[in-house]
Amino acid sequence: MNDAEPAIGASPPRLEAGDKATGRAQYADDIQVPGMLHAAILTSPHAHARIVGYRTDAARAMVGVKAIVTGADLAGPRSGGIIKDESMLARGKVRYVGEPVAAVAATDATIASAALAAIEVDYVPLTPVLSIDEALAPGAPLLHEEYAAYAKGIEGTGHDNVVWEAAIAEGDVEHAFAQCDVVVEGTFDTQAQHHAYLETNGCVADVDAAGKITLHVTCQSVHHVQQRVAEELCEPMSRIRAIATRVGGAFGGKHATNIHSIAAWLARAARRPVKLVLSRMQDFEIQRSRHPARIWMKTGARRDGTILARDVRIVIDGGAYADESPPVLTFALLMARGPYRIPHVRARGQAVYTNKLRAGSFRGFGNPQATFAGESQFDDLATQLGMDPVALRLANAMVPGDLAFGGQPVPSCVARECLLRVRDAQRDAAPLPPRFGRRRGVGYASMSHVSGLMGTAATVQLRADGSVALLTGCVDIGQGSDTVMVQICADALSLPMGRVSYARQDSDASPYNWKTAGSRSTYMTGRAVAVATIEMREKMFAHAAELMECAAVDLELRPGGVVGVRGVPDLAVTFKEIALRSLFKAGGPLAATHGFVFDGPGFDPKRASLRQLAFANLGVYTFGAHCVEVDVDDATGEVEVRRAWCAHDVGRAINPVSCEGQIQGGFVQGMGYALTEAMQWNEQGWLVTATFADYKIPGVLDSPPEIHPIILEDPDPTHPVGAKGIGEPSLVGAAPAIANAIRHATGARVRMLPMTPERVLAAIDEHR
Amino acid sequence: MQYIAPHSLDEAYRALEASDARCLAGGQSLMAMMNLGLVAPSSLVSLRNITSLRGIGVTADGGMRIGAMTTHAELAALDVAAAGPALLAAAARVVAYPAVRQWGTIGGSTAHADPSADYPVALVAVDAIVEIGSAAGLRRVPAREFFRGFFETALREREIVTAIHVPPGPKHGGAVYQKLSPVAGDFAIVAVAAIAGLRVSLAVGGYGPIPLLVSGIEITDDALLAAGQSLANATVPPGDHRASSAYRRRVLPELIRRAGRAAADRRLG
Amino acid sequence: MKLHSVLTVNDEAREVLAPSAASLLDVLRDSLALTGTKRGCNHGVCGACTVLLDGRVARSCLTLAADVGARPVTTIEGVAGVDAYSRVQRALIDTGAIQCGFCTPGFVMAITDLLARNPRPGREAIREALSGQLCRCSGYIKIVEAVQRLAGGTHE
Repeated sequence: MNDAEPAIGASPPRLEAGDKATGRAQYADDIQVPGMLHAAILTSPHAHARIVGYRTDAARAMVGVKAIVTGADLAGPRSGGIIKDESMLARGKVRYVGEPVAAVAATDATIASAALAAIEVDYVPLTPVLSIDEALAPGAPLLHEEYAAYAKGIEGTGHDNVVWEAAIAEGDVEHAFAQCDVVVEGTFDTQAQHHAYLETNGCVADVDAAGKITLHVTCQSVHHVQQRVAEELCEPMSRIRAIATRVGGAFGGKHATNIHSIAAWLARAARRPVKLVLSRMQDFEIQRSRHPARIWMKTGARRDGTILARDVRIVIDGGAYADESPPVLTFALLMARGPYRIPHVRARGQAVYTNKLRAGSFRGFGNPQATFAGESQFDDLATQLGMDPVALRLANAMVPGDLAFGGQPVPSCVARECLLRVRDAQRDAAPLPPRFGRRRGVGYASMSHVSGLMGTAATVQLRADGSVALLTGCVDIGQGSDTVMVQICADALSLPMGRVSYARQDSDASPYNWKTAGSRSTYMTGRAVAVATIEMREKMFAHAAELMECAAVDLELRPGGVVGVRGVPDLAVTFKEIALRSLFKAGGPLAATHGFVFDGPGFDPKRASLRQLAFANLGVYTFGAHCVEVDVDDATGEVEVRRAWCAHDVGRAINPVSCEGQIQGGFVQGMGYALTEAMQWNEQGWLVTATFADYKIPGVLDSPPEIHPIILEDPDPTHPVGAKGIGEPSLVGAAPAIANAIRHATGARVRMLPMTPERVLAAIDEHR
Repeated sequence: MQYIAPHSLDEAYRALEASDARCLAGGQSLMAMMNLGLVAPSSLVSLRNITSLRGIGVTADGGMRIGAMTTHAELAALDVAAAGPALLAAAARVVAYPAVRQWGTIGGSTAHADPSADYPVALVAVDAIVEIGSAAGLRRVPAREFFRGFFETALREREIVTAIHVPPGPKHGGAVYQKLSPVAGDFAIVAVAAIAGLRVSLAVGGYGPIPLLVSGIEITDDALLAAGQSLANATVPPGDHRASSAYRRRVLPELIRRAGRAAADRRLG
Repeated sequence: MKLHSVLTVNDEAREVLAPSAASLLDVLRDSLALTGTKRGCNHGVCGACTVLLDGRVARSCLTLAADVGARPVTTIEGVAGVDAYSRVQRALIDTGAIQCGFCTPGFVMAITDLLARNPRPGREAIREALSGQLCRCSGYIKIVEAVQRLAGGTHE
């Protein structure tokens, strides 16, 4: 497998596929350490309550119980994202059913459970707020009375139960709407979706004699886990180490979380290793969801189809803690214009606190919500104008050189091409025979997304036999980044992939990487790898020039680890000879490192009015389009997605098969968001969909047998290989394309997700 | 927890005398409940080795006696003409997933009586008889009286479902089992089991703790829709996170029309 | 209460001392250190725990270990025999059907079971046989393609 030609654009099998196929791959729960204790977490039964006391003596006295921690043991400052409003265990107050309140480490799971049952916590229940409306109602109970006193990375404008407010505006929407011949308006509601990775969150926290903690953790960033755990435990980062296990899916749900800190705390207290792996129910109840959202949107156009204005108000439900609500809100506002050249746009939004588990990062990060509204309304506008929805999109699509909403230049844009490709693919495909009694519809959605952001670095080292060692901090969460990084490095050195080793991410040894998130890995870390490898090449050429007594400019790389002189076939040195010279003769061990923080242009405050945005510049824009065929049973409202075509610009497909897999997987996850997935709470704030029996993700029979990925390559000029990103966009377009197909089939517009049979039937009945 | 694996029914009845003892049939429902902490029996009596609980036999009237430990997969594989057994086979084919069908049993499913499950609906539609054994001997309870409520049946303590007797159904009759569920393999929002001879009898699941029976419907669209509408008007089906009560009522007439028509289409001659 | 038993796992007799209420999944992972079989939900829906019991697919989280008796158990660790990979594993690797890999052992077992009974399944039979295995990464397309390759074509 590792002898494959290192061509970028080839699809060598993933480096770790063999381990995964044979069961050898080690995920967090597979790790066993001698003397390991089992941890269990006690969670809040109240959605909102004050904690007035704990009694843990009986639990502490039980044989086999080695450590207990409650909120009363926490004395340091609060932690969190931009707003430091939380701690690893509830302190003073619980704010959602399922919030961790206490934890126990014991010699086995049975004793740990028994100890939990012996812990008593005294609560004074408070009135919960369980929806956006309840949170915003005048006089609503406050979740965070001390919001003003919290440390914040960016000063916010939160107040009452509003975590964050932000706005982006360009032009003059009021004036522009007055010029419009047709205006459509609508409110869209989206639900809490769960990541539903097959592997739950968990870790093993090991401890050495000096008390340094090492976490073996399924995560999206070892550096982020290290940082958050150090913060919670009031330790310097040099005493907290995080090593990535294989990750069984993440999608935004495995960023640093309470349980990492809880496990570390217990290990430190017990001076023994501690395993803490969540059950499926606890993972549903404790972790994170996607932000439910309410989006009010108004779009206006001239009779000829030129869209002049869009006004948007978005409220996202952030749950009990701020977590990533500010950036999710900001991104939703940024994406609210869609991939269109609408000159007058105003997007305003709020994120609110409610007494449910916190909403956080999830593939799409606010874009699925905004695009569901925008692309649904787009078709409604087309209907009002009497125009074909694809033609209306093409007429208003962004083109290269346009500015994105907020002012960032977009030099590379294939929005129109993506749409044309899916339209043509659907038209050219042999028609599917209709299902008896079903109505067929075809729907489209266009989308843009952003790849990039924050900082990353890569290091390349030359080994004594001419092999190369590559180190990055980029955790492969299943999307194939390990293989892509090695492809980039091997390609730049004309080495077979088997001659490049790739180290596991270890916060003690790996170069910094912010996170595997934001569709950024191939663009950011891949760019660092490419630049570092090119620098390594220069250093090797310097040695080769000395060895062959010629000028470095005359040198060329030859396949298989050889540096030769251009035009002189017989004159060459091997990588091994270069390595040995550096190690034993002159210069020292060869290594090259490149690190950078996203350095592209961001917003332009001269062009756009920007208020309280949670990030300054983001990344490179990518574009895509979906076309979906559905069959609708208009007597039951059941929707079956028959086929899909998904066109995405990836800049450069380093591993095309991996790109296809991301597109197909993202589409099905977006289809689940569209049709069947919803976390639901009862009036007491208990999650009633906390198992796979109740929270339904698509199985193979629910998924279309044909999902055609169409990869476009419009290289990004700032990346040595031209790559952008693909992780998130394919989820973003699914729900609106399906909604538009349902409308095409039945005339009915569904504005609430998921579009269950019940909702679809209700919309059909209303339309009749 | 005590685990006992008797080799005869008599041994099993004795083992069930322990307090809080449960039978383990295929385990596909019971183990899930145990893993979720919903039940914790002090004693599990495995029926796996009791050969008298296995086997499918055709009875003199053309129906079947199906041993309680018969798996869904075995039933699903039956190629039978008689409408009663055919309906059971149709239901067996759509229970959950292949691995669950491989090991789950009709006896276990019947005794468990999950209101969202497939077998109870089919058994009520075909007018099956549940054969129940205990140390006192055998007794029979019609399926239409066996299912009493949510996970509640006519089974008394220390009794075991030993077999299901399925009548042949109408001569040359046809039968279908149709379920409306959010995703494939899921429990049904509404399920309809229909068996058609000169007229249609059908059972509806998802409409309450026990399947509802409607018999003797004329095989026309109007009659079927009217029967569905009547039933929808007369009952208040549950609302839950899968679907509201109003939706269940809204879709029932058409689901009954479809199931009735489909069953009629499968009649022979 | 702990029970002592001998299980036949991957053609080997393995001695086990485990709680009587332990599932086969618990025993495989915790007592026998065979961690290739995964715990995805522990309530019988996701299929990540799939093994072959007596040669047929079974959810090991729904199988009481004490009830296994002499029936042979095959796990992902036993599927390739003396080779590095079975043809099923090879096909999944080569088709690019493996992303995070957590569902992969379960799929390998389910596909192995399918092909043992039906060496040339069409697409619908493949989808039906895999209907109890959840995957969150791939959208299932490449997994089905891998099986179609093994079945010798892409007939419906």
